[in-house]
This record gives sequence, structure tokens and C-alpha cells, in this order.
Amino acid sequence: MKAAILKELSPFLAVVPRYLTRLALGALAGLAAAAAAVGLMSLSGWFISAAAAAGLAPATAYLFNFFLPSIGVRIFAILRTAARYAERVVTHDVTFRILEGLRVWFYRRIEPMAPAGLWRFRSGDILNRIIADIEALDNFYLRTLSPAVVALLLSILVFFLLAVFDEWIAVTFWLLFVFAGTGVSTGAAQAAEPAGRLITACSAQLRLHAVEGLQGLAEIIVFGAAGQHQEIVRRSQAELMAGQRRMAHIRGVSAAAMHVLSGAAVLAALYCGCDRVSAGRLDGAALAMIALAVTAAFETVFSLPTAYQFLGRIRAAGLRLLEVVETAPPVSFVGSTRTVPAHFDVAFDDVSFRYRPERPRALKQVSIFVPQGRRIAVVGESGAGKSTLANLLVRFFDPETGSIRIGGADIRSLSEPDLRRIVVVLSQPSHLFSETIRANLLLAKPDAGDAELRGALAAVRLVDFVDRLPDGLDTWVGEAGQLMSAGQARRLAVARTILRDAPVWVLDEPTEGLDRITEAELVDSLMAVTGGRTVLWITHRLAGLERMDGVVVLDQGRVIAYGTHAELCVSNPHYAAWYAQMK
Amino acid sequence: MAIGIVNGFAMAIDTRQSMRWLYAQSRPARGAIVRTTALGWVSGLVVMVQAFFLSRVIHGVFIDARPPEAMAGAFAVLAVAVLLRAALAWLREASAFAAGEAVRAQVRLLLMGRIAARGPAFTRGEQTGALTSVLVEQVEGLQDFYALYLPQLALVVLLPLTIAAAVLSRSWAAGGLLLATAPLIPLFTILVGMGAENISQRHFQALARMSAHFLDVLQGLATLKLFGRSREEAERIARVSAEYRRRTMSVLRVAFLSSAVLEFFASLSIALVAVYLGMSYLGYFSFGMYGQPLTLADGLFILLLAPEFYLPLRELGAHYHARAQALAAADQIRILLGGPLPGMSAGVVRPETTDGIHIQCRGVQVAYDGGRRVALKGVSLDVAPGRCTALIGGSGAGKSTLVFLLLGFVRPHQGEVIVNGVSLADIDAGWWRRQVSWIGQNPVIFHGTIRENLRMGRPDAGEDDVVAAARAAGLLDVAGRLPQGLDTPVGEQGAGLSHGEAQRVALGRVFLKNAPVLILDEPTAGVDPGTARLVMDSIESLRAGRTVLTVTHRLADIHRADRIVVLEEGRVIEAGSPEELMASGGPFQRLAGALRGGGYP
Repeated sequence: MKAAILKELSPFLAVVPRYLTRLALGALAGLAAAAAAVGLMSLSGWFISAAAAAGLAPATAYLFNFFLPSIGVRIFAILRTAARYAERVVTHDVTFRILEGLRVWFYRRIEPMAPAGLWRFRSGDILNRIIADIEALDNFYLRTLSPAVVALLLSILVFFLLAVFDEWIAVTFWLLFVFAGTGVSTGAAQAAEPAGRLITACSAQLRLHAVEGLQGLAEIIVFGAAGQHQEIVRRSQAELMAGQRRMAHIRGVSAAAMHVLSGAAVLAALYCGCDRVSAGRLDGAALAMIALAVTAAFETVFSLPTAYQFLGRIRAAGLRLLEVVETAPPVSFVGSTRTVPAHFDVAFDDVSFRYRPERPRALKQVSIFVPQGRRIAVVGESGAGKSTLANLLVRFFDPETGSIRIGGADIRSLSEPDLRRIVVVLSQPSHLFSETIRANLLLAKPDAGDAELRGALAAVRLVDFVDRLPDGLDTWVGEAGQLMSAGQARRLAVARTILRDAPVWVLDEPTEGLDRITEAELVDSLMAVTGGRTVLWITHRLAGLERMDGVVVLDQGRVIAYGTHAELCVSNPHYAAWYAQMK
Repeated sequence: MAIGIVNGFAMAIDTRQSMRWLYAQSRPARGAIVRTTALGWVSGLVVMVQAFFLSRVIHGVFIDARPPEAMAGAFAVLAVAVLLRAALAWLREASAFAAGEAVRAQVRLLLMGRIAARGPAFTRGEQTGALTSVLVEQVEGLQDFYALYLPQLALVVLLPLTIAAAVLSRSWAAGGLLLATAPLIPLFTILVGMGAENISQRHFQALARMSAHFLDVLQGLATLKLFGRSREEAERIARVSAEYRRRTMSVLRVAFLSSAVLEFFASLSIALVAVYLGMSYLGYFSFGMYGQPLTLADGLFILLLAPEFYLPLRELGAHYHARAQALAAADQIRILLGGPLPGMSAGVVRPETTDGIHIQCRGVQVAYDGGRRVALKGVSLDVAPGRCTALIGGSGAGKSTLVFLLLGFVRPHQGEVIVNGVSLADIDAGWWRRQVSWIGQNPVIFHGTIRENLRMGRPDAGEDDVVAAARAAGLLDVAGRLPQGLDTPVGEQGAGLSHGEAQRVALGRVFLKNAPVLILDEPTAGVDPGTARLVMDSIESLRAGRTVLTVTHRLADIHRADRIVVLEEGRVIEAGSPEELMASGGPFQRLAGALRGGGYP
């Protein structure tokens, strides 16, 4: 079972080689600590026994060399403490390092396929799970591998120690030890797997009902369903506890089995030893040593069943991560641009596209031309295909048929850095990082000076707000920009877009979620800063339409009308009706 | 340094209160905790029996040269002892779990009750994620404290004393050595300054911050790509992780010293006991015994018990994280439990309702945050039966607060709400809730079938009534498109309903409940035109004899109302019929003009 798991998780082993020395050091320290513990107890046992026998007659007592053993036990005691400390420091340190390595590895693998390849994985919950999975994988070394390796190596050491005195004792000990380490552990892990899955499912249910109880509290109270809902939660909780109770029993049984095996090993060794002593083949002083060595050795396997339970979780986490990472990137860029476009008009030529083979087409033979320096609005109901245009223009996906050109050059002939330099997108929603205002702005232009930053902020009427903040540009905007209002966060994103200074702009629902007054101000700002740029303005709101150079109407993936706002109001009854209805 | 100590002191006080709370919660678990402790102690006794007979066997075979067969009795006892220890280990695990289970169950239900009592006025202002985390994860974090830590606290005293007594009975020197080291350990731990507490706290904090940063990067990956900065981010992740690692390790290195102290004293004591025993046997020491010289059996007995003396303390260290975890959880849980209650349950009056329900507000003032944030100031209004009143105003004007006030989720600090001549504070809360139907801006669909969601309106309604309500709410065509009709499971794990469809379910609840008062909060915001029309028509049909209040932005809805109330910054600035207000040239007229011209859907 362990071999199969290692094969499944082998892609992760690519991360390990860098840390091999530290890993080995940690295992070595652990082994030293365990060996010192065995040494301390067994040497003490031997010393006491031998001294007791020697002390029976003054002659032997006088000749007895107590110096070495008494120093020996003290050395073992100190060695044990030092090795244990070293083990803890080294293993925790390497755990952090491996976590670092895993995250970078994971990031480097998914970066080329974002965001298209990660479409299924973009919700906050799934991302949280990915992070938890990486941490679970990280635990593999600390919780599972290291203790198992130390136990195995120690068993070999103790085997050789016992073999000096009697091979039977050594073999019996080793067999029982290995059985305890692998048999009991795998048995416990297998029994725990269905219980673990049950617990996960019940936890999710409990969470679900808890969230419902919170979000729907008003409904629950108004419609008098409080008692009913409490009962539902109580039942969910009871199910979860039942699953956890089963886990506790599994833990109890495996602990009991460990006690039985360890006790049997000590008794077997003792009986064998007594037999040998009676037959004169073994020095009696070794009895205590053997018994104590076996007892001390078994200490290292006691924690293995829990470690093996982790293995199941780790495997599941690893497989989930591999599923994410092994998605093929849907789009690949050329290494360098063939011809850099000289002018920046944007043309969609007969573009068709669908997100998934089983879904209907999001765009059907769409042709749109945006002349250089002009602003074209794309309107339509949600689901009409507007955002898809943006996704295709930035090559998050490639169209099924047709092509997209900038300045006559197909965007597939542009390198990724060049395309990103030419097209800037204000996405919906526009993500702000959990950083300072300055850091968020510098994303667009890393070498921009404060004057430039303030210029961009002034263009969106945010500079007064920033000046009034005690930390100014170094104010932290909160998680995903939470500490700013929706309008301010949007304007900051626009300032970021301005800083980019790209010739082609794509604005995806720039005024979504804003109140009327903020919307009007933002439209004014955008009109001012986009002078001379090629703009694709995607919206389902009315603000600013009359100021556009042209309006494209999309309906279920097709262009059904095109013209200026004024023309369309007159010539196209569908448009006129839509406009009237929106008002 | 002084500031650190002061802060530490302030933290200690809070810790003490949380600790007190944790102990108070242990009542349902008392029996299980005592059982677990007892099982642990009995297990220790069995270990002593094992040590006794083991040392007897070795002495017998080695010193007295007896054959193993002669020790058969001792071997039998040892075998039984092994089985007994195994059984005790299993029982202990089960008993420990039961202790934690009892407390968790109690605390979680207590929390849910408290949150429900604080009402939607509280939950609206909080993040669902944070509250859920307390309800689910933090309560789970209490388990190990009652299962592992508390029993161990008792055992840390019981077991070493028992073992010391047994050792003392053989040699006061050995026993004295053990007892002398015991208090030194916590002393040194405190001196080192960093307890095991800090280990888990710092480790956990560092992990949490690293995770948050990584999550931020993953969520913003598309944005990073768009700005062409995604590739460099890998180095940044490595740098941030390395920084956290360095900082945490420097703290952990010191923290690990505390457990090293325990290891050191334990190991060294065992070594010294062995040396003492050996030297005594050899005749170099002759103190510490009671007249008779020590036998090998005595010596081995002492040696076997020496590590057991320190074991409870070691196990306590292993369970120490449970204490820190529980304290952190207790802090958060206590915050939730400690908040103010809106309190409306005192009244018992049920007014006459033959002529419908007439709601009035007189000079009502509502404030949040202990009076600091005033949401409604001196609001007076009149909502008569058979009339539809529209409530309008900008965001933050106090509309939601007014709705909550009428629903009974908040209480006025001044003034009163009067229903049919009786103050709302004197009215039976349960009765009032039965008179009111409400549709919020984001209707919540519960885990279950559409039918079950509808039945919330009136759980004892007959099948015909449910179908009639579904038809009136336009749900039958929605259900018609679904595989199991009205019995299709919906909610997060079932078929997803669109916003408009969810709104229709909410409407269905209202039809089914058939209550005399209807309060609607932006019922047509963000729904498709079909549903919006349905909602407005429903309101029209429900108006007769009912008291209706709607919060809305739509011009069309406003003109259909009998009366309009305009709120701004918590005050009523205008009230009257639509015609009156349009003619008056006041704020309403300006708002109406703006609404028409701004293209607001």
C-alpha cells in the first residue's frame, strides 16, 4: 500500500532533493534520540543487575568497574536531550522549507494555465482547500515519514544489540516490532478511512446548516421555523459526533493492540532470556538489559498508527492537487512577436467560441471592428457573450473559428509580454491585493514614481481621499480591498489601468454595483482618460452610451445590431425597446 | 520591556476569564472526565504491578537461580497485566472522547440559541464566514481540552505521587531524588519564558499569514497575468515564505528549550537513580534505605518506575496545545455569547385585529453600537390597513433599520411602535411574528425541496393550499421545468435557483402564510422583468385589507403606492400621496426626476 501511494505521489518527489541533507539530518537526530533512550534504560538495567550480583561478595564488588557504566548513563541522558532538541528544530525547519518548495512548485505549474485552466478552481472555497491540501502534503514528512524511518532504523539497531546475546530473542523482537509498526498501523488506517470520509461529509453538512441558520435567520424567525432549524442542526451534530466516536474507538483499539504486542514482546524476550540463563547460556545481568531495551524500543512505534491515518488524508490531498496541476494549458504563446502592430485598431473576424464542448456557443460568428482611438460599447443581457469577447482578446482562451487582430496582426502571433503591454483590462470584479495602495498601483508600472501614482489617482478623483489617509499611499487596503468602499476600490482599479498606459483598453462592466452618482462621475473620468485610446466598453447599464462612437448589441452570442446610440434608437426597434425598458 | 509586561498582564486577565468559562462549561462532562482520570490512574497502578513482578522474575532467575517454570505465577500475572493495560487504553480513549463530545454539543446549541436571540440585526452586521467559523471550527477546537488536557492535569498530580510513594517505600533516597526534581521542571520552564503555548501559537499564526498571502496570490492570479507580472510572483512567494520561516524558527528554537528542560531532568534523574542503585549495591553508598539492604528486585522496581514518574508531565506537554486552542476558541465564543440582546419577549397582549392592522411609529429613535451610530431619529409614520406605503431613500437612510424595527428585530431607544393602539413592546412577540410576512432583498432558500421551502409559510397547511400558493407565486412553471417538480431538492446542494426563481419561492411563502401585514424590501431589485411584474401584481392582489409596506427604488412601484415616506439620514423628510409629493417640489420630486433620468433599471 505504501509503495502504491509513493508511486501516485511521485510528481511531488521532485520537490524533495533540495532538502535531502536536512531530511537525513532530522532522521538521524531522531534516531540518535531514540537510541540514546534505549541505551539509557538498558545500560541502567545492566549496571544495576551486574552491580547487585557483584555486590553479593566484597571481592567482586571491589573489582567492579562502575566508572564506565555510570558515566555511560549520564552521557546517554545528555545525548537524549540534545538529540531530541536537534530533531525538533531540524524537522520543523525542514517542514517550513518543504512547504515553501511545494507552494512555489504548485504556483509555477498553474501559472501558465491561469485563469482559463483554473476555471473550475476559482471559488474561494476551492482555493482554501488547495492551500490546506498543500499543508497536508507538507505534514507527510513530519508526521508520517520521519517517525516511520526512525522506528525502522532503531529496530535494526536493537536487533543487533539483542543478537549479541541471543538470536531467538532478537528475531522474535524484530518480528513483533515490525508487525506492530506495519500491521497494526495499516489495519487502523484502513478502518479509519471510511470513518474519515463520514466525518468530512458530516462536517460539511453541519457547516451548511450553520450557514443557512445565519444567512436565513430573518426568514427563520419571521416564519416561525426556529425550533425546526435547531432540531436540524442538532441532528447534523449528532451524526458528526457519531462518526468521530467511531474514530475514537479505532484509536482505542489500535492503542490496545500496541500494548498487547509490546507486552508480548517483553514477556517473550524475558521468558527466552530466563530460559537461557537457567541453561547457563546467558549472563543474568543481561536479563534486565534485554527487557528494558525491548520496552524502550517499542515506544517509537506507539505513535505510528496515527501517523498512518494521516497517510490516507495526504494521499487524497496529493491526488486533488495533481488533478489541478495536470490540466493542460488551453493557450500557448509564441516566444517572440513576429511583427509588432503599428496601429491599434481591434478586429474580431467571424469569431465563434464555446467554453466547454457540451455547452452552447458563447459567441457565434461575431465580427466587430473598433477603429483606433475610438470607443465602442458592447451591450446585451447577462449571458449574451460580452465578457467572452474580453476573455478572447486577452487570450485567456482561443476562439474556435475566426481570428482576432490588433493593428492587422493576429494576436496569436504576439508574445505574451507584448500582448499584455498592448491590452489592459479592467475586469469585473477587479481584484485588489491585500497590500498597500502603492503596491496595488505599482503592479501596473513597477518603476512609477509617487508623482505618477498621484497623477493616476487624480484622474479618478481619489487623490484627496488618499491624502487624507494617515498613511497615504502606504495605507493597507484590506483583504481584496475590503477597507475601501466599492466605488473607491473600483476607482483605484481604474487608476491602476491608467498607469498601465496601454493603447487598447477593455472595460468590463466598469460601473457595476455602483450607485447612480458614483457611476456618473466614473463615466466622466473614464471618458476623460481614454481620449485617443481604442476602447471596448462592455456593459449592461445605460450610463454613457450616448457618448460612445458606436454601440454593438449582442444577444445570445450574436451581433444583432450596430450603430451609434442615436441611430439605433431610431432604426432598431429592439434596441429602442430595450433602452426604454431599462429606464 | 515594561510595555510588554503590562500587555502580558492584560492578556493574563482575559485568559483567566476564558479559563474560568472553560471550567464552567465542563459540567456535562464531569463524569466522563473523572472516569478518564480514574482509568489513567488505574493504568498507572497496573504499570506498578508489572514493574513489581518483572523485577521479581529477574531477581528470581538471576540472583536466586530459580528456573523460569518456578516463576510461572509471576509470568501469568504479567500477561494479565498486559491485557488489562490494553483494555484500559481502549476504555480511556472512549471515555475521553465522551467528555469532549458532551461539552461541544452543549456549547454549540448554546451559541445557536444566543445568535438566534440576538437576531438578524446582529447577523447582518457580521461576516457569515467568521460566525460560521466560531460555530463549527472553534467549538470543535474545544474537544481535546476536556478529553485530553483536563484529565491529564489531574493525573500529573495523582500518578507521580503514587509512584513516589511506591518508590519511597523501598528507598527514601531514590524517592527523594524523584520528588526533588519534580518542582524544578515547571520552575525552569517558566524561567526559560516561553511555554509550549507559544510554540503552537506562533507556528499557527505564521502558517495562517503565509496561507492568507498565498490565497491572495491565487485569487488574483488572473489580474497578475493581465499585468504581465505572474511569472515573477513565484520568487515573491518563496521570499515571503522564507521570511516567515526565519522569524518563526527563531521563536521556536527558544520555545523548544522548555520541553528540553523536562527531557533533561527526566533523563538525568533516571541516570542518577541508576548510579545510586548501582553504587549502593557495590557498597559505596549505604544511605537511603530502611535497615535492610536493597535487593535487585527493589532496585529494578525503582528503575522501571522512574520513567513512569515523568511520563504524565511529558504527556501534559504533548496535550498543551489543546489548552491554547481551547483558550483561543473560548475567547471568540465568549464574544459571541456576551453581546447585547434586543429583547422583545416580555409582552403578552394580543390586540384586536377585526379592522386590520394599523402600524404607527411615534418619535422612534434607533441607534447601534451602544448608541454611537444613530440609524433612525425621531421617525413618525403611519401605515394603515388596506393601504400600500412605499418607503424610499438613499443608501444609509435607515430603511432597513425601519424594516427591522417593525419586524421586532431591534427595539427603539426612544419613542415607540404602536400596533392597533398597543405598544409593540407590550405585544406578545410570537403573536406579532405570526401577523407579519416579509420578503428580503436576498431571499434565502433552505436545504430541502421547493415544497418544504414553501411550507415554511405555514407548516400545517394542506396540500391544496401549498399548490395554490405555488400557482399564485408563478412557481408551477418553474417547477414544471424541473425533474421532480415541487419536490426537487434545492439549496446549495440541490438545483440552483436563479434570483428571480428564489424570489418567487419567497412570494409563495407569503401567499401561504396569508398574514395581514406584508413588508417587502426591494422585492424587484435584480430580478428579470417577468418576475418583477409577477411580484407587483401579487402585491396588488394582496393589498385588500392588508397593511403593506414596501421599500423600493422603482418609479413604477412608487406611483402605485397610496402613500410615500421619504427617509434621509434617519429622518422622515417628506410623507404624503404620490400626487401631493410630486406637486410639492420637494426632495421627492428631485429624487423621482433623478431616478427617471439616470437610467437606473
